[in-house]
Amino acid sequence: MATSGSVTESIFPAQEAQVSDRDLDWAVVQKVQSGNVGAYDQLVQKYREKIFSVVYNMTSNREDAADLTQETFIKAFQAIARFKGKSSFFTWIYRIAINTTMTFLKKRSRRRFISYENIDEEVSNSEIFERLTAKNQTEKGALVNELQEKLNDALQKLSLKHRTVVILHEIEGLEHAEIAEITKTSVGTVRSRLHYAKQQLQGYLKDYLG
Amino acid sequence: MSQHTKDSQKEVKVEDLLRLKRAERPDDAFWGEFDKELHQRMLQTLVKKDPLHLQIWRTLSGRLTQSVGVACAAAFLALMVVRPVFIGTTSADLPVAQIDNSALTSTSVVEVAMSDLDVSSIEADHDYSIEGISPNVESSDERFTRDFGMEGFELAMDADYSSDEASMRPSFGSAGVATTLVY
Repeated sequence: MATSGSVTESIFPAQEAQVSDRDLDWAVVQKVQSGNVGAYDQLVQKYREKIFSVVYNMTSNREDAADLTQETFIKAFQAIARFKGKSSFFTWIYRIAINTTMTFLKKRSRRRFISYENIDEEVSNSEIFERLTAKNQTEKGALVNELQEKLNDALQKLSLKHRTVVILHEIEGLEHAEIAEITKTSVGTVRSRLHYAKQQLQGYLKDYLG
Repeated sequence: MSQHTKDSQKEVKVEDLLRLKRAERPDDAFWGEFDKELHQRMLQTLVKKDPLHLQIWRTLSGRLTQSVGVACAAAFLALMVVRPVFIGTTSADLPVAQIDNSALTSTSVVEVAMSDLDVSSIEADHDYSIEGISPNVESSDERFTRDFGMEGFELAMDADYSSDEASMRPSFGSAGVATTLVY
């Protein structure tokens, strides 16, 4: 990312390749802590899509997801003076996002409505969609909408804990250890939840599997 | 067999379906609006609260105030513990203060025992004098050494009550210092 690169150059000019993502974030965080509020925008630009994706998949509502993502960044900004760098900024802000979303979903448990994002056209032309279209003898456009609805429904049927783990691992591509750190659980617990969540999803989505 | 393997490789799994969720992305217009709203909300936060460096300073100064408070409390406590010991040792060593005996004109004498009266700080006036009597310090004045004993004290009290001219405010302290006010 361009913003990260500029930070690298300013801090470690000769060792750009060796500087980890965590160190880059920590450097920006320290700038913000020292009063350079504008530097926070670098962190927003870097993580807004990832945070939005997690929140969106947890809520299945794009407006709520946008609102909660903004709330996450505001909360992180308000608390950044207390951030000591013991964990990575990435882990820290994911934790804030998940806690904020969980609190929201617990309050909203009875009032639920769905508002989807558009699926990227490139994916609708992917191999999986070709196979699904052939298998179900369905028109591709209709299948995309149907599958999107079924997937979101299936995720919403999972408990918050299981939903969080399956989203972070299968959709966001995080490692078990990273998920364990974010959710403050053990790796074993993460694996166990993931296994259970996949079993549940296989039952909900059996018409599309095989 | 190879056909079967090929088919099994093409089987759609839960993981494959979930990965399709990665494609649900907002467009650029969404992010433009998102950034605008976020900046507005951040500004509102900044307006509502002080700048970050002030918040940091306030946190630090708050801790400093706490430390000073604790230090003051500790000093006060130490003073309260040390003070009685200090008084106990010094009061025993206190010399008999005798200020302006020449101003003794009245016949009535009032004896008052006070624990911690600093007689040296009281300036003598023409019409009265203050005298401190300590049991541990010998005085050349026989009248005071005689009066300090319990019997002598009671005698003095009787004499004072019998006197019409004297005003008397007796009090008794535990430090063993007696002060005589003479009008």
